[in-house]
Amino acid sequence: MLLHVVNRSPANSRVYEQALSAMGPDDVLLLIEDGVQGALPQLVRYYAKIEGRLFALREDLEARGLLGRCAESVQVVDVDGFVTLTEEAERTVSWY
Amino acid sequence: MRYAILLMGAPYSHQASHSALRFARALVARGHRLEAVFFYHDGVHNAARLAAPPQDEPHLVDAWADLSREHEVALQVCIAAALRRGLLDEREAARHGKDGISVAEPFELTGLGQLIDLGTRCDRLVTFGP
Repeated sequence: MLLHVVNRSPANSRVYEQALSAMGPDDVLLLIEDGVQGALPQLVRYYAKIEGRLFALREDLEARGLLGRCAESVQVVDVDGFVTLTEEAERTVSWY
Repeated sequence: MRYAILLMGAPYSHQASHSALRFARALVARGHRLEAVFFYHDGVHNAARLAAPPQDEPHLVDAWADLSREHEVALQVCIAAALRRGLLDEREAARHGKDGISVAEPFELTGLGQLIDLGTRCDRLVTFGP
């Protein structure tokens, strides 16, 4: 299992497409920085293919006033959860 | 586990430095060993000795230095990326005939080979891009 990390909003960047096309069936994806916008109900459709394997970083949601506004299918993790994901994943791949 | 971080974002231009620093602190707090942070591309500006941000803002250069001293984390700066951006230590300043030193200790100028070494030696390498 690989961890993919995306820091761009799907509203402004198409790098999410590259991440999705590189993902294996067990891989998970974490949204950080402006990428957390992708966890909003209006934008989460871009990640429909990986429903249940999508995470968003709590601190970056909070900094943008978006905590509590995520789609229900998104799992919110804090920075300790980020570390745990890197422990569990064989490797981490960052997309930016 | 043994970790290394690759940081490629310039301080105060992108969130990458803040994200990497927060991740680094969480790593050591959980008992992991952070071997090194490798600064590459515009990330080399994190080593700017003369950085003087407003006092009510995080001082990223000092924060990396503190992390390094407290947890014995090597701060490795790509020498090729640093020289072309005007970041020189004493030795490189002398070699290039410059009269100032712009890389703060404990940052060290090093080669890309060190990044390859970290990638093979550490259990995890996490990249923070611009």
